[in-house]
Amino acid sequence: MKSSDAPADGPLDGADLAILDDVRAAFSRADPMPAGLPERIKFALLMHNLEDEVARLIEDDSLQPAAVRGEEQSRTITFDSASLTIMIRIESNANGTVRVDGWLAPPERRDIEMRTASETLQAASDEQGRFAFASVPSGAAQLVVRSAQHRPGGPGRSVVTPALIL
Amino acid sequence: MTELSPVSVSSGQPDRTARIASMLTAAREGSEDALGDIVTELTPMLWQVARATGLSTPEAEDVLQTVWTRLLSHLDAIRDARALIPWLVVTTRRESWRQRAAGRRQLPADGSWFAALPDASPGSEEEIINADQRRALWAAFGQLSPRCQELLRIVAFVPRPDYQAVAAELGMPRGSVGPTRGRCLAKLRALLADSSDGSPR
Repeated sequence: MKSSDAPADGPLDGADLAILDDVRAAFSRADPMPAGLPERIKFALLMHNLEDEVARLIEDDSLQPAAVRGEEQSRTITFDSASLTIMIRIESNANGTVRVDGWLAPPERRDIEMRTASETLQAASDEQGRFAFASVPSGAAQLVVRSAQHRPGGPGRSVVTPALIL
Repeated sequence: MTELSPVSVSSGQPDRTARIASMLTAAREGSEDALGDIVTELTPMLWQVARATGLSTPEAEDVLQTVWTRLLSHLDAIRDARALIPWLVVTTRRESWRQRAAGRRQLPADGSWFAALPDASPGSEEEIINADQRRALWAAFGQLSPRCQELLRIVAFVPRPDYQAVAAELGMPRGSVGPTRGRCLAKLRALLADSSDGSPR
């Protein structure tokens, strides 16, 4: 092999470090971190309570091409945690705020909060697990499904979603 | 506190290591600002770790939130600042693969997603030369195995002082004295040498 002067078990040298620098520069340009990401993470950390159960993003239909989603300005996101699945649909209001309709599975009555940078909005799900926030300021927000203390043996922890941009 | 440079995740700056260590100490004592500074400093690196596994942009964002949230409950366990970056890199990688496994969408496992990365827009003459070099690098990089592509992309963003600890965590071979080049980097170097010889095999 021609490049046998640089065997796999040889020590890293200047040429290796230069190649790694090039790889780093190339990916920094081609796939940079989204600009607002550290701020969104800090927002989520500020809101985080160590006792909470954290839900993971399972599906976000804004990942689909617009042609598949159709022209309507709605977006559906699903979160999953150990005890609960949360699905929300987000639609734009004319005044720049958004409407959020949600469903919990398994369906049950829970107190629900929408935490935004400026305020925390309150709602509650009905026995079908449905809830709605008619007017939420756009920007970073986080959904919290409060613990179901009224149900002995039920999930004792609140469930929080990652911060998302509405 | 001094102003944070716009995160050049570049080679070993000893003062950077010391700076992160003092941020970690302050964060453990409850400083939200210090924790925020660590997030600002290290998220660009973790972004590359998550994306190297093939996650979509929203998935990668979600994984990183999960990782930083988990750090909150591990702050006291990370006594040594030198353990912070290896812990973050390994946790991000594990969460990313978990997310990939959970996602219904199947990404090509042959690394062809790599070809879809945009090239930088051409600019000055100097930029064009750089663009040629970058194309050669892309071409060589794309011939590596998916595992090598992932490992090299991660390692390229790890600060030099943490290279050895991270490489060991990722299961990359290591010599008795210092980190070795490793199979993946040796292969990339050979591919680049071949392409600059102008011998298309």
